[in-house]
Amino acid sequence: MGQLDAVLGNPATRRTFLKGTGVLAASGILAACRKNVDESGAAAAPTGSIGPIEDEPGVLHAHEWAGYDAKWLYQDYLDAGYPQPKFSFLVNTEGALAKTAAGFDWDVTHPESGYIQDYLNMGALQPWDTSLMPNFKHLNPVIEASGQIDGKQYEIGLDWGYSAPLIRTDHLDATLDSYSYLFTDDAAGHISWFDTPWILQMAAIAQGMDPGHSFEMTDTELEDMKNYTIEKGQKNLYNIWVNYQDMWDDVQTGNVWATYAWPDAYVALKDKVDVAYIRPSGGTLAWVEGLVLRSDTENYHHAHAFADAWSAATVGTRLISSWGYGHANLEVDLSKIDPDVVKVFGLDDPEKNLSEPQSYLDRYQANRNAYNRAWNEVKASL
Amino acid sequence: MAIDASAEIVTPPSRRRRRGTAKVNLGLISVPLLWLIVFFLIPVVLVALYSVGVLTLISYDKYLSLELWRYFLHSDTYLGGPLGRGLFWKSLKMSFGVSITCVILAYPVAYMLALVAGRRRYTLLLVIITPFLTSYLLRVLAWRVLLNPQGVIEAVLRNGGLVADGSQISWLYNSTFAVYLVLAYSWVPFVALPIFVSLESLDLQMLEASSDLGASRVQTFRKVTLPMSMPGVIAAFVFVFIPTIGEYVTPQIVGGKAGYLFGNVIQSSFSSSFDWQLGSAMSVFMLAAVAILLAIFGRYLNMRSVTE
Repeated sequence: MGQLDAVLGNPATRRTFLKGTGVLAASGILAACRKNVDESGAAAAPTGSIGPIEDEPGVLHAHEWAGYDAKWLYQDYLDAGYPQPKFSFLVNTEGALAKTAAGFDWDVTHPESGYIQDYLNMGALQPWDTSLMPNFKHLNPVIEASGQIDGKQYEIGLDWGYSAPLIRTDHLDATLDSYSYLFTDDAAGHISWFDTPWILQMAAIAQGMDPGHSFEMTDTELEDMKNYTIEKGQKNLYNIWVNYQDMWDDVQTGNVWATYAWPDAYVALKDKVDVAYIRPSGGTLAWVEGLVLRSDTENYHHAHAFADAWSAATVGTRLISSWGYGHANLEVDLSKIDPDVVKVFGLDDPEKNLSEPQSYLDRYQANRNAYNRAWNEVKASL
Repeated sequence: MAIDASAEIVTPPSRRRRRGTAKVNLGLISVPLLWLIVFFLIPVVLVALYSVGVLTLISYDKYLSLELWRYFLHSDTYLGGPLGRGLFWKSLKMSFGVSITCVILAYPVAYMLALVAGRRRYTLLLVIITPFLTSYLLRVLAWRVLLNPQGVIEAVLRNGGLVADGSQISWLYNSTFAVYLVLAYSWVPFVALPIFVSLESLDLQMLEASSDLGASRVQTFRKVTLPMSMPGVIAAFVFVFIPTIGEYVTPQIVGGKAGYLFGNVIQSSFSSSFDWQLGSAMSVFMLAAVAILLAIFGRYLNMRSVTE
């Protein structure tokens, strides 16, 4: 079943590639006859005045990750008597962007914070009115800052995680506090990377580059990291994973001793094999996802109620303990969470642990194409 | 033999009748023509426009540029010169090898079915094809179960003492070989079909004549059966070559880092890399390359001389 899921996707799966192919093919044609996005690229203001909630259609359209339609994630919204939202599913944020550019409508969607600017450039977003969300004051301000552009809250940051090495401690010494686990000759043939250009950044950080600067490397630096990554990949890499369950299997069976992972892998594997999740103290890369609001939504108030339900502490507690993802709410009940997990997430002081220089949150990269092209060349050269 | 010339004279159809026939022909051809225009020609033109930046995903980002074409055509990673080490050539060689392998494996099967199996041929054909009516993905995933280091094949070899405990057969999984193997497996039965059709339509009297004239069975096969079945063989080859050159699913599932092919870069450009311009340039290049190769195959193999 795990292997089937690896391709077909499963609840909470993201970044799988196969399901997206059809969507992208359709988007390509539709994008040529796009509508409903701002041609100027400027941030769009809400269209028309915002009326009372009674005037809204009411059935919210959420363009979400598979599995994020689970009712417990927005139970308070349903309990308040709002109608069940309509869900459509995205495979990756890039695909969602393509569909949006092609004119696909939604009221709220759930991108990584690094892509907010792209949506904004399309004119697809409007800022949230956080005063309409009672739970907003409990959310981690560090995470919420990543959802702001020009002082406006375009994304309500909700779920987050680190991107860091997970290692088999029965094969590797866990005292090395670095991303170098992902490149070391000590794990030759047993290293696994995720399919992301962040590997180039991790290579740079492992070699002493400031993690903040790793988001804006020069062409020369990028070329150096590409060559380094190719050299280490050819020598030491076992595979590049796309679906996290494949990676879990490989770690469990011992095929992989060191892998790029999110904390959910640690939660899933810690009771099965000897593993450690390494958060390099010199700076750990972290991602944030949250809800963004469509510029021309007719469900303005419903969307705010939906995002507020997602922001609840009860959702956070369950999200962390069951799925192994972080949650922005600072009021989560730590007594209900495994102490080991609290430590790995740094939940004892999430504001500090998600701030620089401890962590470096995902951000918009104007030079993203250069990173992606370098990363594709790495994969093609292994 | 006297020929009655008058019998050869055919009364020309009237103008009205000719016009009616033309209308019928136009009607018959219009649907497939429209289909091709809407679902092939226009998409190809759109992709070409994306590749030079005339079309972009985000409208304000429009610009006409051949920069990506220049980047791609000068890339050692992707092209690396004629028959170089670039990824395109790797895909081409893989596809060529898989196609040849499939034809070689499928020919005896088609031969047996068409010329030996007799009345049971269609039943046997169905039996051969039935497993392949299941999902392509499931079959590829099944290979992963077999090939992976904890899989059946390595377990059998390990239990038999052919592989030492603690060691792995590195070329069996996450390798170019694995991609080659799974692709060949996936396409063999479909390749057998056009060859089967070609062999089944052979005029058996030709084989008998060959035998009567003193040819051995091998000579008959070499001089009569094989040449006459060449249209089916060529069709079978093309049938595999075209889809496998852009393949990305199988390499992703069983190829690991070594199995990465040209199709994977295209897929990545259109999805996670969000680089439609580069992906489009590569797609157009591949389309053109395949068209040129097919034209060369067609001319080199001189299909008409084979069939006549």
